[in-house]
Amino acid sequence: MPPRFPGSVVVPLLPISSAARLAGSRAQLHEEVAAVFDTFREPLLRYLWTFGLELPDGEEVLQDVFLSLYRHLDRGKSVDNVRGWLFRVAHNLALRRRYRTRRDAETQLDAAGEEWTVDPALNPEESLASREDHKRVRAVVEALPEQDRRCLFLRAEGLRYREIGEILDMSLGAVSLSLARSLARIARSAER
Amino acid sequence: MKHPDSHLSDEQLLLDVEGELSAHDERLVHAHLSACWNCRARRQEFEGAIADFVRAHKREFAPDLPSAAGPRALLKARLEELAAGPPDGSMHFSFARGLKAAVAILVVLVLGIAVNRMAINHEIRSGQNVGIYSMPDARLTPGATVLLSRSVVCAEPGDGNRPVPGSLQRRVFQEYGIPRADPQAYEVDYLVTPALGGADDIHNLWPHSHSAIWNAQVKDALEDRLREMVCDGDLDLAEAQREIASNWISAYKKYFHTEEPLPEHRRAPAEPRR
Repeated sequence: MPPRFPGSVVVPLLPISSAARLAGSRAQLHEEVAAVFDTFREPLLRYLWTFGLELPDGEEVLQDVFLSLYRHLDRGKSVDNVRGWLFRVAHNLALRRRYRTRRDAETQLDAAGEEWTVDPALNPEESLASREDHKRVRAVVEALPEQDRRCLFLRAEGLRYREIGEILDMSLGAVSLSLARSLARIARSAER
Repeated sequence: MKHPDSHLSDEQLLLDVEGELSAHDERLVHAHLSACWNCRARRQEFEGAIADFVRAHKREFAPDLPSAAGPRALLKARLEELAAGPPDGSMHFSFARGLKAAVAILVVLVLGIAVNRMAINHEIRSGQNVGIYSMPDARLTPGATVLLSRSVVCAEPGDGNRPVPGSLQRRVFQEYGIPRADPQAYEVDYLVTPALGGADDIHNLWPHSHSAIWNAQVKDALEDRLREMVCDGDLDLAEAQREIASNWISAYKKYFHTEEPLPEHRRAPAEPRR
C-alpha cells in the first residue's frame, strides 16, 4: 500500500493513556521507547547541535532525554504529544549542558563556517553564489536574539507554532511575531 | 518589507504560508491576495526566506550521522538497567511503606482498568471464541499519524479510507491473536483515519468488529464530524487526532452529545462498509 502522503514522517501517537501503559509490559515499553528513538534521533541531534553540542555530546544528551521519557511512562504518566515533549526536554537539558560546559552556539557556528563542501551538481559560479547565500543567511541568524533563533531552529525541525510556544514558554502570537521578524530580516538581506 | 496599513501584515502573510490561519482568516487573506500583487510578492519573499534558511541550516549540520544501532543498543541496555530497579528510584527507601500501599492501590486500579477494558474491547461471545472489538488494544494500536498541517490534510479529499491490503489485514489479525478470523466479520480499520492525517501503518490499524454496537459505521460518522470541525477551524488537528486515538467512543459521545450511537449512524452489522 503506497503511503497516502509520500515522504511524510510517521509519528507514533504513544502512549495514549497511563491505563494502557500500566497494562503493558516493561519489555514492550522498551521497544516503544526505542522505536521513538529511531524516529526522532536525527532531528533532535540537529537541534542539540544548534546549542553548540558536538555529536558525541548530543548523543549523550539524547540518552538522557529518552531515559527521562522511559521514567515518565514507567510511572504511568502519559505524553499527549511525543515530539513536543522530546524537544522540550532536549531543549532544557541542552541549556543546562551549555551552561555547565560554558560553550556557546556561536563558537560552533564559527567553526562550522570554516568547512565547506562543494556540491558537485553546481558549476563554479553557482557554487560561489550558494556559498555567498549561506554566509548572508548565517550572518542574519547569528545576529538574531537567542529566542528568535530558537523559534527558527524548532520550526525548521517541523514543530508547529503551538509546540514551539510550549517549549519556549511563549504565546502563539509571540512565536508568529518572532518568526515573521526573523524571516523578514532574511528576506531583506537578499534584497541588498 | 514595509507596506501600507491597508496591506496584509508580515505576520498574516507568514501564518498563511505556514497554514496556521483559522479557516475564516484564511478566506479573508486569500481574498486580499487574489487582488493584491504587492502582498503576493511579499508572500513569495517569505517563501524565499524560508528556502534560504533551510538550505543554510542543512549546510551547517551535514555530518554523516553514525548508524543509530550503537546508541540504540546503549539506550536499551540502560533501560534494562533501570527496569531492574524500582519503578521510581527516588522513592524506594524513605517511602518504602508508602510504596507498598501505592502498589496495592495500583494493582486494584490496573485490575479495574483491565476488567473495564475487556468489557469494552474484547467481548468474548460465549462458546464461540470470537473477539468483538469496538476499541483497539492500545498496546498494539496506539495510533500513528503523519506530520502534516491542517491545510494539507483538508486539501485532500476526505471521502473514505482506502482498503487495507489482504496481507496487512492478516498481520493485524495475527497480532490480535485471531489469525483465523473471518475477514467478513471485521473491518481492519484505521484508528486515526487518513482523512485526519492518520498513517498507513500497522500501529494505526485494528480489527473492528462489524457486529459491535460501536462499529466502523459509527466511527465513520465521528471521523466525518471531526474532519469538518478541523477544516472549519473549530478544532485543532492534533487535538482531533488525540481524541480519536485515545478513546474514539468517548469522543463520539462528546461530539454527538449522546450515550449511544445515533440511529442514523448505525447500519446492520452485516452490511458491507463503503
